[in-house]
Amino acid sequence: MERSWLWRVALIAAVALFSIYQLVPSWFYFKLPPGERLGPAYEESVPKWAPSARRHLNLGLDLQGGIHLAMGVDVDRAVKAKVARRADEIAEYLKEKGVPVESAKPVGDGRVIELKTAEAARAEKTVLDQYNSEMYAPSGAPQGAIWLAFKGKVLQDFQAKAVEQAEKTIRNRVDKWGVSEPDIKRKSNNQIQIQLPGFKDPEKAKELLGRTAQLEFKITDDESPLVDPVRSELAACPSSEAGFKMPLPTEGCWSVETVELPSGGTRQVTFLAANNRIELDAAVQKHVSAKLDHDHEVGVGEGTVGQGPVRERYYRTYLLHAKTELTGDYIADARAAVDNSQGAGKPVVVFTMSPEGGRLMEKLTTNNLRRRMATVLDGKVETAPYIQGKISTNGQITLGSGRPYQQMYEEANDIALVLKAGALPAPVTIFEERTVGATLGPELIKKGTTAALIGLLLVVLFMIAYYRATGLIADVALALNGLLVLAIMAIIGTTLTLPGIAGFVLTLGMAVDANVLINERIREELRAGRSVRQAVDQGYDKVFWTIVDAHVTTLVAGVVLMQYGSGPVRGFAVTLIIGLIASMFTSIVVTRAIMDFFTRRDTARLSV
Amino acid sequence: MQFKTFDIIPHDTKFDFVGKRHIAVVLSLIANLAVLIFSLNAVHGLNFGVDFAGGTEMEVKFDRVVDAANIRKSVEELGFKDASVQTYGPESEHSYLIRVGRIALMSQEDVNRVIQAVKAKLPVAGEPHFNSEVGDKIDFQFTKNPTTQELKAAVEAAGVKVREVREEAGLTAGTRSFAVITQGIRDKVESDLLTRFGDAKPDVRRVEYVGPAVGRELRNQGFKAILYAMGLIVIYVGLRFDFRFSPGVIIALVHDAIITLGYFALSGREFNLTSVAVILTVVGYSVNDTVVVYDRIRENQAKYKGKHLGDLVNLSINEVLGRTFLTSFATALSLVGLLIYGVGTIFDFSAAMLIGIISGTYSTWFIAAPMTIWLEERAEKKRSPTARQQPPQQAKSV
Repeated sequence: MERSWLWRVALIAAVALFSIYQLVPSWFYFKLPPGERLGPAYEESVPKWAPSARRHLNLGLDLQGGIHLAMGVDVDRAVKAKVARRADEIAEYLKEKGVPVESAKPVGDGRVIELKTAEAARAEKTVLDQYNSEMYAPSGAPQGAIWLAFKGKVLQDFQAKAVEQAEKTIRNRVDKWGVSEPDIKRKSNNQIQIQLPGFKDPEKAKELLGRTAQLEFKITDDESPLVDPVRSELAACPSSEAGFKMPLPTEGCWSVETVELPSGGTRQVTFLAANNRIELDAAVQKHVSAKLDHDHEVGVGEGTVGQGPVRERYYRTYLLHAKTELTGDYIADARAAVDNSQGAGKPVVVFTMSPEGGRLMEKLTTNNLRRRMATVLDGKVETAPYIQGKISTNGQITLGSGRPYQQMYEEANDIALVLKAGALPAPVTIFEERTVGATLGPELIKKGTTAALIGLLLVVLFMIAYYRATGLIADVALALNGLLVLAIMAIIGTTLTLPGIAGFVLTLGMAVDANVLINERIREELRAGRSVRQAVDQGYDKVFWTIVDAHVTTLVAGVVLMQYGSGPVRGFAVTLIIGLIASMFTSIVVTRAIMDFFTRRDTARLSV
Repeated sequence: MQFKTFDIIPHDTKFDFVGKRHIAVVLSLIANLAVLIFSLNAVHGLNFGVDFAGGTEMEVKFDRVVDAANIRKSVEELGFKDASVQTYGPESEHSYLIRVGRIALMSQEDVNRVIQAVKAKLPVAGEPHFNSEVGDKIDFQFTKNPTTQELKAAVEAAGVKVREVREEAGLTAGTRSFAVITQGIRDKVESDLLTRFGDAKPDVRRVEYVGPAVGRELRNQGFKAILYAMGLIVIYVGLRFDFRFSPGVIIALVHDAIITLGYFALSGREFNLTSVAVILTVVGYSVNDTVVVYDRIRENQAKYKGKHLGDLVNLSINEVLGRTFLTSFATALSLVGLLIYGVGTIFDFSAAMLIGIISGTYSTWFIAAPMTIWLEERAEKKRSPTARQQPPQQAKSV
């Protein structure tokens, strides 16, 4: 027997040490009382040499309490609203073009527009010339009217946009509450899944998430020195080549930006910045609120540092005139488009106001030419472009230039989404709600771990009682398996759920199955008269594929379950999968290395 | 050898599994049919949890004993006719599971009554919008907008309690729409429990609400997931061994899944997402034993060329009898703790898993392995009666 077992023992030791090392943050995480785990106390308690504090085992909602919601977007209503607004828009457009319109209203299932007009043919041509990529005129309309319908792809797009818009609104709001580690995912069938660990008030969550978004237009005040005194109260933001040097101080900091004034000059406008909304709100409360008069308020928006896909976000303030000049109700539609008027295509946002909204917008833009207009969605400044010219019914927002086309187009899309969020209702309703109170979790954790330990102990004792020394070797491998599973879960950030604990125990039970198969085979080979050395080799070699097959079939079930389940059940599936993979390593490689070590001489004895 | 070891199952057994396969198949068929018939709604039915049936489920803990029948009576008096109340976990915990199947608090008549009442008092524009899948929300538009208080008063005058009236952007630009949301089951039950059993300090520890559409979808997907898993496993085993083994695997898999389902059908325990997880795990795990026996059959086919397949299968099952039993035993041992300390779904998970493991071992011995000669025999009969003495066709090695 050559000394290859030495290398394998080294590998095993490395895996064991690596697992323990990866579990260091989890150790400190669970040492803290539940209430303090989410706070800064945890990150401070993790030693410097340990892996990132973010890599710790997470408790699922069923164990730490919190809210799980699946909100369904009422796409049917969103599409109806969109069609109704398009009908208004078309009527307005035809009147502008001098085509008489009696009425334009959705009919039937709310997806077809019936347009009553004295000049049907001309109306049809005018409308289709304008909207030919989106609409067509089906036949069968009554005398004196035309029907206008949307192409299938366009209707699908309306639905998709409604869901996207609802998701954005929900993200915005959850962001504002400062829930730690919220998980917001878009699921199939127009559903959005929201997990709020530790959030206690389901009624408040439902009420706030259920509202449609509120969009307001406000004018920034870049000439007022109201905010300037903070320069002496706070530190200036640390800067780098890409912008700010992240992370910013937790108490917030100040910075300046160069803003063009209507008079033609420029001014260095002071603003506050912080890492997140909560920190910024605290800084504003402390340093700015007292300085404001009735005509001003502070708006909070987002900024990014760096370029490309890895951009870090920070939050910043804008000084706004408190008066809401216009609300999103008057917006009929908005979309990203490409402006080809100046040669090269340039992404812009095109929006349409209702007739009344158009009049208000015209007044607003004429009075505030070359000032910045902030679009405030749900209390957050989404964008603040300069007003370049008079806008009435049909407006266009030009974006700051000098960035890649794709990035600008995405930004245009985002802004269009924001404008629409205030305009179109994308009502959400709750399809699924699971709330776990804070009192339940600790009890379940206690019972779950007790149950797991009992099962584990029984398996360990059985292996030793039945297989003696080889059973002990299998138990050593089992311990390593348990460590490895927990370490992998900590690394990939899986959440530990109650069914997950059951899955963990079950995989440990399954892991010894492999050793049972190997040991039985060794017994059989010994009975057939082979030497210990030969029996061990035969035992491992002949059973290897059986073990692989057995693991694969269970893995198949685990993967299917992971696709199907959500929440706790998914937690179970993930634990099962990780456990099975780890068990293939520990029960074959680890036990074999130890076994080879003890039977390395031909005269070796073995109790199996 | 230094230590005397022992075998739980002797290593030289000679049971005739193949010969008993007809009896085993008939017995299993009867058991399976019994479970399936019992699971039919018309006969007894599965006790679907809110995951699949839709509805609201609340886990409430009191600090002293409260009569479950009293809780049910009070919930039913709130208008939920199909409420069920069970004790949850050990008696000493005073925990109860209250389940109300009906989600839509408003029936279509309620909705019509509300709409008539609002139309009588306020200038409603167009037709109000009610989605029965949602069940607690009606959208109104008006020609002249009322205040939210006026609208709330109008709805409550029709006898429907309102939780919130929400003002939203309307269908066309510049108009407003009003969403009337009626009081949810949770609010209603919780406030009622507080007034009736306030001295026992009810603590609502967990609430699960699943809409009817989602419930249906989860049920269909769960069923599909089990079928997919079975299909994939059958294909894998077929590719790794021989597709001649497939009928045995399919029958054994279906058998184990149905027997596991039987736990839920007969015990009347709640059938929910976790139950689907158990069945899937059983499906994946119960093949393990089968794989062990198949491997041995393949090994023996190479070793004893020309031996009759039936004898070969019998020999193979007997040779690995001990380990197929022991692997299941070891896995079952790990479940003991969960069976003792498991609460609610976790207890059901372990109990059903245990039954699935037992069923998996049984089906390996009596169904999956003996069935491998089924196709062989049929093929022989087809060829000709005289060809019976011919050695069976050599299995294809993979």
